[in-house]
Amino acid sequence: MNELKFHWRLTQGGERHGASRGHQASLGETGLPDLGQRIRFCKRAEELGIDSLLTDFGWSKPDPMFLAAAIGLQAETIKFIVAYRSGLICPTSFVQQLNTLSTIIDGRFSINVIAGDTPEEQHYYGDWLPHDERYARTEEFLAVCRALWRREGPVNFEGKYYKVEGGKINTPFIAPDRTFPELFIAGNSQQAHDLAISQGTIWMQIPDTPETMRARGADVLAAGKELGVRCSIIGGATRGAALEQAYALVSQTRDGFDDGAKEREFMRKSDSVNVRTTYARAGESEWLTPWLWTGAVRTHGAPCIAIVGSPREIAEGVEEFVDAGVTQFILAGWPKLESMEFFGEEVLPLIRQPKEIAAAL
Amino acid sequence: MALRFHWSMSSAGEELKGAKARGAVSGIPNLDAHVRFCRQAEECGIESLLTAFGFHRADPIVLATALGMLTTRIKFMVAVRSGVCLPTLFVQQVNSVAAVTGGRICLNVVAGHTPEEQKYYGDFLAHDERYERTDEFLTVCNAFWKGSGEVNFAGKYYTVEKGKLSTPFVAPDRTSPEIFLGGNSAPGERLAAKHADCMWRLPQPAAAMRDQVKPLVDGGIEVGILVSLLVRETHEEAIEATERLIARFDGAPRRTHEEFARKSDSVAFTSTYKLANADDWPAPYLWTGAVPYMGAPSVAIVGSAEEVTEALFTYRDAGVTQFLFMGWPDLEEMERFRRLVLPAVRAREEAEAGRAEVAAS
Repeated sequence: MNELKFHWRLTQGGERHGASRGHQASLGETGLPDLGQRIRFCKRAEELGIDSLLTDFGWSKPDPMFLAAAIGLQAETIKFIVAYRSGLICPTSFVQQLNTLSTIIDGRFSINVIAGDTPEEQHYYGDWLPHDERYARTEEFLAVCRALWRREGPVNFEGKYYKVEGGKINTPFIAPDRTFPELFIAGNSQQAHDLAISQGTIWMQIPDTPETMRARGADVLAAGKELGVRCSIIGGATRGAALEQAYALVSQTRDGFDDGAKEREFMRKSDSVNVRTTYARAGESEWLTPWLWTGAVRTHGAPCIAIVGSPREIAEGVEEFVDAGVTQFILAGWPKLESMEFFGEEVLPLIRQPKEIAAAL
Repeated sequence: MALRFHWSMSSAGEELKGAKARGAVSGIPNLDAHVRFCRQAEECGIESLLTAFGFHRADPIVLATALGMLTTRIKFMVAVRSGVCLPTLFVQQVNSVAAVTGGRICLNVVAGHTPEEQKYYGDFLAHDERYERTDEFLTVCNAFWKGSGEVNFAGKYYTVEKGKLSTPFVAPDRTSPEIFLGGNSAPGERLAAKHADCMWRLPQPAAAMRDQVKPLVDGGIEVGILVSLLVRETHEEAIEATERLIARFDGAPRRTHEEFARKSDSVAFTSTYKLANADDWPAPYLWTGAVPYMGAPSVAIVGSAEEVTEALFTYRDAGVTQFLFMGWPDLEEMERFRRLVLPAVRAREEAEAGRAEVAAS
């Protein structure tokens, strides 16, 4: 079985305690990174046994590739999951940029290829393709990238979206153990599932119940790819303390900011199946399992579906996903640093403990 | 106005720039060698270093980010081609680099050299259309940098709607990157006049450049030359150095550049080859003898300290105010520039400024 890996979302500039996505984007300073703060966050993540930090892509943030270059030079072992959108750059340039990044930070990154959340934001970038075509284009995009990474001679490709003739670049992807970066394909749609099998190395989803995840992911595992989950962690010393935190998160209003309205507006614009199904699911049931809580989804966004409980309960929640075939987790919490410390210090040792010892306790 | 000096970094870690066939260069940047190059440039009064673009090199903008993190003063003149990435993403990348390097990035816009290499990147446009696309590309970029509010643009190559980015271009003295643009053709000139701060030309004798330079300078942009430098204590030593340089080639790599010149559809490059074939000394200070071996950028200003200093002011009087140098090898030539030329240039500028003050009072 693949090694279990736990990733965290990188802290952003100007982060407010418990801020929702809408609130965060409304804060002007997200665009200018406080490098020192992020480097400290990276070093803490390294100490806690976190594998990678997710650097998001979006109009309201600095470019994640350059952030990874800047921070990666100052850190030792931490890796990055660099989110990027396929339609904004030609595949040859993309591979050239990534390979250059690999030579600078020793290949310490993987790529999270996303199709884009809202057509409105895609238009900021000059991308006018509808949702399904964006997946078809991503399929071609990654086919060209992987051909360049194979380094088996000039790449010739003629598709609907990309045409490359004699393509080659001299800078290879450099890493201790790989010849191309891990490719996370995120999304709950059939297209994302198919793309993960054809071009990805791992299919990332916002979680449903472990049984549903197992059923959906069986053919992905059979194809030799991994399954991953992206969600949040809300923990406390006891279940009661964790629940208190969870409810506090959605009950407070900050600076008169209406998170629910902002998220409803985002939902109206979004054509992401991932985001839409999770939003709908949150309306059906607040607890998908005794520890999987959808209560924050409607105010804080789909990735805020959360595993809630004491350290042992969270460890069990994670293990149920592991039993369903999941090997990588991209996690977050509120605030990002403290929740990462809670996870690394309280929960991760329980998960890493050999099963026999856990059973004897 | 003080003359401004830049240097090409493309040979960092390589002794004779351009003397290797392009496919044979490894593409793995030697970061230590690059950082040494940057630090010496900082000490030699060089303002920025050109990081070139090509399939055989590391990506210039990622490389500049890494070097910017490891140095303190030097700027990076990052080469950019319009056809490989959408303008919104490009602005986001540039602004992100500025955010992590204190704004130490400027741009060198190139429309691309050979149609063959353009196809590696999926770009099949012809020469004139590339200029047209670059025009649209820079229009969108400048709308982000210089406009206020959302960017709307509908062109032949790009359509952007309500474009916005949270990461601004931040530098101590600018709110947009300085734009250099290379080319000797009429569309290149129109493009430079519209979008650039400075246009790079390949050198001709200063007297021959005056009439071409004037309309550009009158139009509000600077003109610079892309030129190699070969300065020695005495005239005789400089001439000997040119002879030793030619002797080293022994005829062998000549074919490489003849081949490149044949494939190139760049007017700037092909016209320099014609100049080179006519006469090795088009002016007493300007030598084209290395062009058949090292390509068009190896046209060189050659002479003693006094002769070279005089040549720079001859160019200045013809309207040329910026210089992008190369040398053989770069670091030794840069050191001679610092020792033999720069103090004389600055002393003369100060003396002139003093005379101007006296004349005014």
